[in-house]
Amino acid sequence: MLKQLTQQDLFELFDRLAEQYHLLMPTLLTDGSRELMPWPGSKAAAIDGIIPSMAGEPIQRKPTSHFFPQTDPLVFLKPDGTVSVPQPPDKPLALCGLNREDLAAVAFVDRFFSAEPADDVYLAKRSGALLIGLSGHCGDGSHGDHFLPLAQGLCDIELIAEEPNEEKKEQEKQWLAVVYNAVGEQWLSGFAAGSPQRLELLRHKSVTMGHQQQELLQQASRLLQADQVPDSFWQEISSRCIRCGGCNFVCPTCTCFCVQDRTTTAGTQRSRIWDSCQLDAFMREASGHNPLGTELLRTRRRIHHKLVDDPKRWGEISCVLCGRCDRACPTGIGMVAVCEELVRRFTS
Amino acid sequence: MNGNKPSEMNATLTTCPYCGTGCNFYLLSGSDGRLSGVEPAAKHIVSKGRLCMKGWNAHAFVHHPDRLSTPQLKRDGALQDCDWDTALATVHQRLQAIADRHGPDSLMFFSSAKVSNEENYLMMKLARAGFSTNNVDHCARLCHSSTVVGLAETLGSGAMTNTLDCFDHTDLVFVIGSNTTEQHPLIGGRILQALRHDTKLLVADSRKIRLAQHANIHLRHHNGSDVALINGMMRQILVDGLEDRDFIARRTENFDALRDSLEPFTPEYVAAITGLEPQQIIDATRLYAGADNAMIVFAMGITQHSHGVDNVRALSNLALMTGNLGRPGTGINPLRGQNNVQGACDMGALPNVYTGYQQVADPQARLKFSTAWGKELPETPGLMATHAIEAAAAGSVRGMLIMGENPMLSEPNQTLVRKALENLDFLAVIDIFPTETAQLADVVLPAACYAERDGTYTSTERRVQRGRQAVETPGDARADWRILCDLLQRCGIKANYESPAQIMDEITTLTPSYGGISYQRLEGGHGLQWPCPDADHPGTPILHQEQCTRGKGRFSPTRYRPPKELPDEKYPLLLNTGRTAVHWHTGTMTRRSHLLHREEPHAFAEVNPQDAGQLQICDRQLIRVSSRRGSIQLKARLTERVPAGQIFIPFHFAEGAANVLTNNALDPESGIPEFKVCAVRVEPC
Amino acid sequence: MQSFSNKPAQSIYSPRGCTLLHVEELTPQEKLFRFVLDDGSALGHQPGQFVQLSIAGLTEAPISIAGSPTRGPQFELAVRNVGTLTGALHQLQVGAKVGIRGPFGRPFDLAALQGKHLVLIAGGCGLAPLRSLIQYCEDRPQEFASVQIIYGARTSHCLLFKEELKAWQNSPHLSCCYTVDQAVPDCDHDTPYDGEQGLITDLFEHLFERCIFTAENSCAVIVGPPAMYRPVIEELRRYGFTAPRQIMLSLERKMRCGIGKCGHCTIEHLYCCTDGPVFWLEEVETLRGAL
Repeated sequence: MLKQLTQQDLFELFDRLAEQYHLLMPTLLTDGSRELMPWPGSKAAAIDGIIPSMAGEPIQRKPTSHFFPQTDPLVFLKPDGTVSVPQPPDKPLALCGLNREDLAAVAFVDRFFSAEPADDVYLAKRSGALLIGLSGHCGDGSHGDHFLPLAQGLCDIELIAEEPNEEKKEQEKQWLAVVYNAVGEQWLSGFAAGSPQRLELLRHKSVTMGHQQQELLQQASRLLQADQVPDSFWQEISSRCIRCGGCNFVCPTCTCFCVQDRTTTAGTQRSRIWDSCQLDAFMREASGHNPLGTELLRTRRRIHHKLVDDPKRWGEISCVLCGRCDRACPTGIGMVAVCEELVRRFTS
Repeated sequence: MNGNKPSEMNATLTTCPYCGTGCNFYLLSGSDGRLSGVEPAAKHIVSKGRLCMKGWNAHAFVHHPDRLSTPQLKRDGALQDCDWDTALATVHQRLQAIADRHGPDSLMFFSSAKVSNEENYLMMKLARAGFSTNNVDHCARLCHSSTVVGLAETLGSGAMTNTLDCFDHTDLVFVIGSNTTEQHPLIGGRILQALRHDTKLLVADSRKIRLAQHANIHLRHHNGSDVALINGMMRQILVDGLEDRDFIARRTENFDALRDSLEPFTPEYVAAITGLEPQQIIDATRLYAGADNAMIVFAMGITQHSHGVDNVRALSNLALMTGNLGRPGTGINPLRGQNNVQGACDMGALPNVYTGYQQVADPQARLKFSTAWGKELPETPGLMATHAIEAAAAGSVRGMLIMGENPMLSEPNQTLVRKALENLDFLAVIDIFPTETAQLADVVLPAACYAERDGTYTSTERRVQRGRQAVETPGDARADWRILCDLLQRCGIKANYESPAQIMDEITTLTPSYGGISYQRLEGGHGLQWPCPDADHPGTPILHQEQCTRGKGRFSPTRYRPPKELPDEKYPLLLNTGRTAVHWHTGTMTRRSHLLHREEPHAFAEVNPQDAGQLQICDRQLIRVSSRRGSIQLKARLTERVPAGQIFIPFHFAEGAANVLTNNALDPESGIPEFKVCAVRVEPC
Repeated sequence: MQSFSNKPAQSIYSPRGCTLLHVEELTPQEKLFRFVLDDGSALGHQPGQFVQLSIAGLTEAPISIAGSPTRGPQFELAVRNVGTLTGALHQLQVGAKVGIRGPFGRPFDLAALQGKHLVLIAGGCGLAPLRSLIQYCEDRPQEFASVQIIYGARTSHCLLFKEELKAWQNSPHLSCCYTVDQAVPDCDHDTPYDGEQGLITDLFEHLFERCIFTAENSCAVIVGPPAMYRPVIEELRRYGFTAPRQIMLSLERKMRCGIGKCGHCTIEHLYCCTDGPVFWLEEVETLRGAL
């Protein structure tokens, strides 16, 4: 299904969605970053001057955090020995504004947590949630012309911003909405049909956009699989790691967690919390034995896991090139930076 | 933490509660009012979307079950719950009674580098106006009091001269006595990034810290030999003719005295004191003095000595001699350890000054504050925190109010501290967790943590920034400023502020360097760097640009004095103390944050393998470390990070407390203890 | 306060209640605990699997099951007191309640062991998981050609299951040989150690002198501390254990979830908790950090 929406249509859609979902929209925060925050309703948005920030830089927080949050209750253990599990959400989530990379990350994590035995704690938040992709002319300009490549799937609805018309104001912006399933159809059936020709043009533009970084990852992956990268390289990179864990915490396909208990008189809340394989204690055993006991091994794992191990296990590189770790790393050794250095040095 | 509502529905921008770098992040919370996580502020001028491991876990302790949530009063030798009115009335009455009987100076007030500027202001107002004593101090005494004294004398301002952005365009960074990548990780990260763009790095540190791996030159000089090293470098600069003669002539005074004082510090003489090779000193000198723009970065390795002020003076002399001052990418840059230790000093939570370093001994300043507060104010400077502990042990200080500090673990010579606190007639503690200090209190007042109150914090680069309330306090706990307002009111001082913003309005009228700061201006999220004298002033990223705060930069000659206690036959190893990357001070917050606790769950001592071999100690073995003041047991960690002859113990751990061992030898001017050097003996258990 | 449903626990993270029936001190550091699930059901495990043992307030720890399912619905865990949770466990009295999730993991491949000469090698705490297989062999001797147990411990004080070691030595169906690196002279209430002393591999020559091991007729199983694997494997190879599916080993990692989610037990692309803990040597030998 292909629809054509105006800005007003879009707000109307959001208002309707917000009745059945916890609808989160890209929103500009005080410091200038964009985050997914609750849709205030089009009336409130008008009154408070809150405009959903549909265009701009990538969403700062990884969107998978809404299904796999930093602190995530697992079970509650009562003093009498009974165990209870969190109630299912009162409304499912609807995440609007995910770009192609973020949607790929959600798809990867979906697959990871759905593998048997399926992770019910993840699925309780994920099942029934609506994903609304965002692409077209709504980027931050980092690719030159503010164009974000089309996701072409991986979501329920994809909103594609059409090329802005100089004379038209922001409110008159036009959107193409591609609907990928029945749930999406149910929400968009009432809107005007969109032009397949225009969609085709945008698709074409997507295809012609460079895949330089994709190629970089694959080159790096091949070098690593062929064991072409010596430990001295990892020693060098790891000497620049200050063990902040940021690369893991911002990575939308990182799923490692540890478990924490918090006990009060009411009982024990057992939660999982984001973990980082860059910490020495990540694999350290009580005996002191530690399979990841050196900086070198930990840094090597961070890259290997995404470029070698996950392809072996899941059939695909699990770095979606969202750029978050490169932005979050205080010393400049994020995924792309490391791959660039690695490919430069070890490609014969 | 919410089972049936999304957990990231609210995002509150605030300032990190840990080190003084001043990173900002969003606290994420659900509609149940519980924090679920942290996201670095992507566009913030300092954090730039980055945080360290502590920052990433800054939400983790907030809802810990150990949080204090009800006031407690000691009855029959045990702390028992009571109501706020009883608790506050008891604090006021008991302190007042002690003041009435033994004089106001028998009281001591510990303010805190962990609370806001507004709260520090109220605390010092409570001491001075409420109880008529200048006996107010805070933990800056233990970290950068040497800096404040040393830089105030030489430059006129005891703060970081430059701004963090300067790391991005300097030619050389000279890091001495700062384990920057662990203690100010985002600054350390910036230094590592700068090295990728041809910036040079000179590191002087006895430990092989991460920055040392990347340094052009790493000097492993003996702990406590800094004055000799710096004087030696300055002498060599003059020998090589690398001094900035124009700068010295235009902008400084007392150069001749300095030059004369340097004469004995030949490379050979300095080498004998520092344990370095003469050529290393010459090479390091040429590296530093050869840079067009060089930044000096220092921290506790410089300040925490019985000659801490001299160390700072020497560094200041070095910067002045080479003209590395008042320009981008230069300066002398003390890294402040706590998120508001700069602010607590600025706010006059010190025994000798009001806000903005206005001297209590200055009649005009005293008149200004007494007029504003409607109360006669005492004129003699009060007791320093370290001296107050000694005075309590001796019986001349009898009542204390401690807010957000844990001297039981943080002060040197714990045996003495315990004796001092137990000796008090009355001890009240305001805190968020039942600390080792709170265990000894007569009244414990449960406070708000950083995520539960509004306020401002001043970072190491003098950047005043907002902290914002994201969630409610647990149980009956109250924001510190509300507790202090109540006590002020009970003392008859008007304190009916409705918000911290109103307190800041009062501060700005009394404090020239904060004159242009207001909550409205801070709303934008990037803060303002003082001095910011008026509402139109954009703030001051770099100090001493045209001239120094005091006018001419003053060379202040120093002579080498060895540490008070050096290894000998009976105690043959040198003990160095400090922190780890994942823990914060006495561990009250980080040891209750799961990931951080898991990373370093136990007390440990870094031991050089060479020493370990001689002592027949293996890795992870339990050892006993003893000094003349006490003895502790903890696990050995064999590592080349410490040089042979030295062991390093972090002071976070109550069960293996480094400060049982440390020496309370104080710098005569700043009162800072010699945390970085004492003599110990190590034996296997 | 968190809102929770009152429905019965149904998460993969919900522990099942079980009761401590019996405790026995194995060494000063190790105890053997016998549990039964409160709903009366059998654990349903196979030799080589592990459980996640849960104590409220102290999270969970992965513990291998030390007994064979052929011994009835109760199950045994041998636990060394090394951490907070295991320390608390050591304090528990009979009748105490704990939580259990599992059994988890890939068990010993019993089908592959059928009809073969088995060499079962354990080092240190590794005897606990191996005991589940030893008991199984003891109970089903007809399924195997022969069973040779070889066990090594650090000191004579550290020997686990001392009585059983003797019983296995005297069993018509099993052979058992053990050694200690260091004999500790006197132990207050114990008889002096009079057994073998030396490295575990020192026993091989004597035991294997008349054996001809082939891929068809034999299989070795190794469970031990990390440092033991490589030397033992090297030695086994000298005696003919060179074929694929001839050496099986069980690896220990710090599993937090037991079900392939938490990431703490990965060995390159493998998850020790679901792809293991039991592996054929050739599955892990070339993986970095496996052995």
